[in-house]
Amino acid sequence: MDCKMELKQTSLYQKHIQHKGRIVDFSGWALPVEYSSTLAEAKAVRERCGIFDASHMGEIAIKGKNALAFLQYLTPNDISLIQKGQMQYNLLLNPEGGVIDDLMVYHLGDSFICVANASNKDKVLAWLNKNKKEGVKIEDQSDKTALIAVQGPQAAAVVSKVVGEAMNLDYMHFVKATFKGKEAIISRSGYTGTDGFEIYPSWDDACLWWDAFMSAGKGLGLVPCGLGARDVLRIEVGYPLYGHEINDTTNPYQASLAWVVKPQKDFIAKDKLMIIKKEGPAQKRVGFIMQQRGVPRQDYPIYAKTKKIGRVTSGTFSPNANQFIGMAYVDRDYTAAGTEIEIEIRDRLYKAKVAKWPFVEIGTKGHNHNAFIKKEA
Amino acid sequence: MGELRFAKSHEWARVDNDIITVGITDYAQKELGDIVFVELPKVGDSVQRGSAFGTIESTKTASELYAPVSGKVAEVNSELTSNPQWVNEDPLGRGWMIAIKANDSSELGSLMDEPAYEQFIEKESH
Repeated sequence: MDCKMELKQTSLYQKHIQHKGRIVDFSGWALPVEYSSTLAEAKAVRERCGIFDASHMGEIAIKGKNALAFLQYLTPNDISLIQKGQMQYNLLLNPEGGVIDDLMVYHLGDSFICVANASNKDKVLAWLNKNKKEGVKIEDQSDKTALIAVQGPQAAAVVSKVVGEAMNLDYMHFVKATFKGKEAIISRSGYTGTDGFEIYPSWDDACLWWDAFMSAGKGLGLVPCGLGARDVLRIEVGYPLYGHEINDTTNPYQASLAWVVKPQKDFIAKDKLMIIKKEGPAQKRVGFIMQQRGVPRQDYPIYAKTKKIGRVTSGTFSPNANQFIGMAYVDRDYTAAGTEIEIEIRDRLYKAKVAKWPFVEIGTKGHNHNAFIKKEA
Repeated sequence: MGELRFAKSHEWARVDNDIITVGITDYAQKELGDIVFVELPKVGDSVQRGSAFGTIESTKTASELYAPVSGKVAEVNSELTSNPQWVNEDPLGRGWMIAIKANDSSELGSLMDEPAYEQFIEKESH
């Protein structure tokens, strides 16, 4: 671990060391890939609950009287559909319709917070600043904002012990809450496809909140979870990850994110996207389930009857579905669920089938946790 | 129970006359994390000392398994295919991988004994 000194540390770094986290370099951040077992952690989140440090994520505030118009033009989802206290999944598009980053946009009333991927934060900031208009103020709050996610069917029980009002939050809604005089934004959301919360304390208060959740989680099965479990969980429910399923050259239609595009409003690259929508993308993002044991990994080629038809973008063993699963881009004739494909792993072909997300049971207690996926299907 | 020897590539070899049983060490399984896939050769296949005889995959990565001696595969722990987690749970026991009928058992002389291996991983983890 001594060689990791040059990496950036979140304010929860000492917690990860205490919990014997296995620290890796994740986009320049020293973060735990797992504590004891990725599979056990991913299982814990589906069955009970887990706590994640996601403080490496970027938080960018957009303020000023033209903040909404500014964001509306740069993104395809319609932010006017949400109100103060709600959040929305959105994309930052380049003029070709490619994805600069995927974002969560929090509506604070007179301003917005965009949560960006750590690896893309500088690129996102540069793009926002380049397109900045009068009456728009852009503020990078990443260095002073931590992010803790508590996810799983027991997450509401854990978080509401610390912040009572969490229990009444609807999916994709948030409140500003206070614990021991310290304020944080708490949203009912997450990257796992189960019930859960994302908590944004000040950078220096992260340990206070972490400890509060950890002690609230005693007896409820709360375990610290690393990036490995986070990846397994998002693949199980079909959430794309930047650098795997989406990048500057993939458009929302290819990425099976058509539901994010709202043609009723005007936005950058709309004309180009409408052409793609009409013609249909040549390739599309799909999920698949291996029919033979084998670990699909990024960039493995995919065949259908000896013809190369695509490539794997993510893959893993799912401890919850008890199957090897993945995501891929395949030619448009091969996107139907049930389509038989073959994945080349070390010069051998392994059978797989295109399948619909999610690959596990998701959602609990009347909250519309699977809205994200339903819209996609 | 024969004597245990260790390779720098973190396989162990248990010597029982000319039959050498092979697996990966406890240190190796911990480094790899959850094992989800093990691919092994068939009985009768030839293996070469220092060459890959199979593949092991964890949630994080795929790694090759190297034969500590040359010879023919005499036995394979085929149950690992459906129970790869045995490598995590019991790397020196149920997690064994193959037994090799060695061409020349003296090849094992280049492997480390347990104290030497412990020193080796001590250095490697720093």
